[in-house]
Amino acid sequence: MNYTFDFNAVSLRPLIEGLVVTLELTVAANLIGVVLGFPLALLLMSRIVVIRWPATLFVEFFRCTPAIVQIVWFFYCVPMLFNVFLGSMTMGILALGLNLMAFNAEAYRAAIQAVPREQIDAGIALGLNPLQRVVYIVLPNALRASVPVLLTNGIVIFQQSALVAIVAVQDLMYQAKTLATETYRPIETFTIAALIYFAVSFPVAQVVGWLERRRQVLTS
Amino acid sequence: MTSASAPLVSIRALHKSYGPHIQVLKGLDIEMKPGERVVVIGPSGGGKSTLLRVVMGLEKIDSGSVTFGGRPYISSAGAGAKTVIDTEVRRSIGMVFQHYTLFPHLSVVQNLVLAPCKVRGEKKASAVRRAEALLERFGLAAKANAYPAQLSGGQKQRVAIARALMLDPKLMLFDEVTSALDPELVAEVEQVILQLAGQDMPMMIVTHDMWFAKNIASRVIFCAGGVVVEDGPPEQVLGAPREERTREFIDRVFHIKQ
Ligand SMILES: Nc1ncnc2c1ncn2[C@@H]1O[C@H](COP(=O)(O)OP(=O)(O)OP(=O)(O)O)[C@@H](O)[C@H]1O
Ligand SMILES: [Mg+2]
Repeated sequence: MNYTFDFNAVSLRPLIEGLVVTLELTVAANLIGVVLGFPLALLLMSRIVVIRWPATLFVEFFRCTPAIVQIVWFFYCVPMLFNVFLGSMTMGILALGLNLMAFNAEAYRAAIQAVPREQIDAGIALGLNPLQRVVYIVLPNALRASVPVLLTNGIVIFQQSALVAIVAVQDLMYQAKTLATETYRPIETFTIAALIYFAVSFPVAQVVGWLERRRQVLTS
Repeated sequence: MTSASAPLVSIRALHKSYGPHIQVLKGLDIEMKPGERVVVIGPSGGGKSTLLRVVMGLEKIDSGSVTFGGRPYISSAGAGAKTVIDTEVRRSIGMVFQHYTLFPHLSVVQNLVLAPCKVRGEKKASAVRRAEALLERFGLAAKANAYPAQLSGGQKQRVAIARALMLDPKLMLFDEVTSALDPELVAEVEQVILQLAGQDMPMMIVTHDMWFAKNIASRVIFCAGGVVVEDGPPEQVLGAPREERTREFIDRVFHIKQ
């Protein structure tokens, strides 16, 4: 290969601007996912079929279709079907946020159902009423257990957010593509973009690993 | 009838199954007097845990009834019928389990004061004072602010016992509280239970530890196949059982132990 690398040809400025947009998308989607995922998990566990069924369908739709299809679908179908026109950034946030909400709901549900039966029995034996058992035993147990999965889902969404570049949200990926075309330096540009994604994801992944190891020690 | 001889717990024709095919308790009758310490022994799967869980009010029953201190506590008219449990009576019974008993997200003191504060509305400061006194008594004062994960198995079980005692139970249930422990930690937990026995705490104990059974029991019930096979003082049931099935079981258990 006869290629001279020239990283100086790539200006960092637009990439950093793109990163800010990517982080905005990530934070907003995580707010939706972390907050609304929880009530959705409660619906998933409802004993009432007409509540549980639509919630399950919602979750499975997001889990069983590619994220890129969800984003494109949102972008083209929501305006046509519902006659609402939102900015591309809002659309991106909604698409990513709803996707994350579905995955986080599953994380919450699994964590709630993993609370050992004995913990609830101990609560009954101590005279706590059903609401107190949920508030003081089940939820604190489950929320702690779900933190590593929520964080992992959060980084996945940070990475998936690159997909919204195709619907013209000016995130890191979009800026990288533009820059690569302008500078004719795709290798350098995309390498730097990848390193930026990595620099954000990697530390969070380490934290997740640490939390999981600590949890194993704590619950054994 | 005087209150001294009136039963503390009276179990009548108790039937309990898990689903349509697993019949666990098949007509159990047990009468327990105040101050008695009943040890329940029997083969694995014989329904000992189920019996204690029923008395704790954790299980639905098919039919039969349980009264506590002369008050109706648990009843069911028949399979499929609703099990009625008086939750106020339930609050005067405490139980310690084999596993996962402490709340992992709460410190030792918080584990102890949770129920008194939330269930009885006791002031935090007063509950903490009582908790600290109890921990002191059980040799756990230094662990008051530790989390369950930082405790040994024996310490965890002692904390679980202290937590149950915070509610001044009138009956304590112990379901194999030492069988998940390393052998060297068994004694410290058994000591605490013996200490309670010295204060005339009525208790129902499931254990496979025959030494402990001998030392704590005022009465032993051998339970197998969902019925009471033999019921009597420890010298009889453990020492000179009248029933063939009891004898076989005792021989086998002692054989394994020695
Ligand atoms: N939640 C449950 N669902 C279905 N079957 C159960 C359940 N709990 C217990 N059983 C069954 O009921 C029977 C009695 O169980 P139980 O735990 O009361 O026995 P045990 O005398 O305590 O035995 P061990 O000495 O092994 O603790 C067993 O056959 C067991 O498999
Ligand atoms: Mg058992």
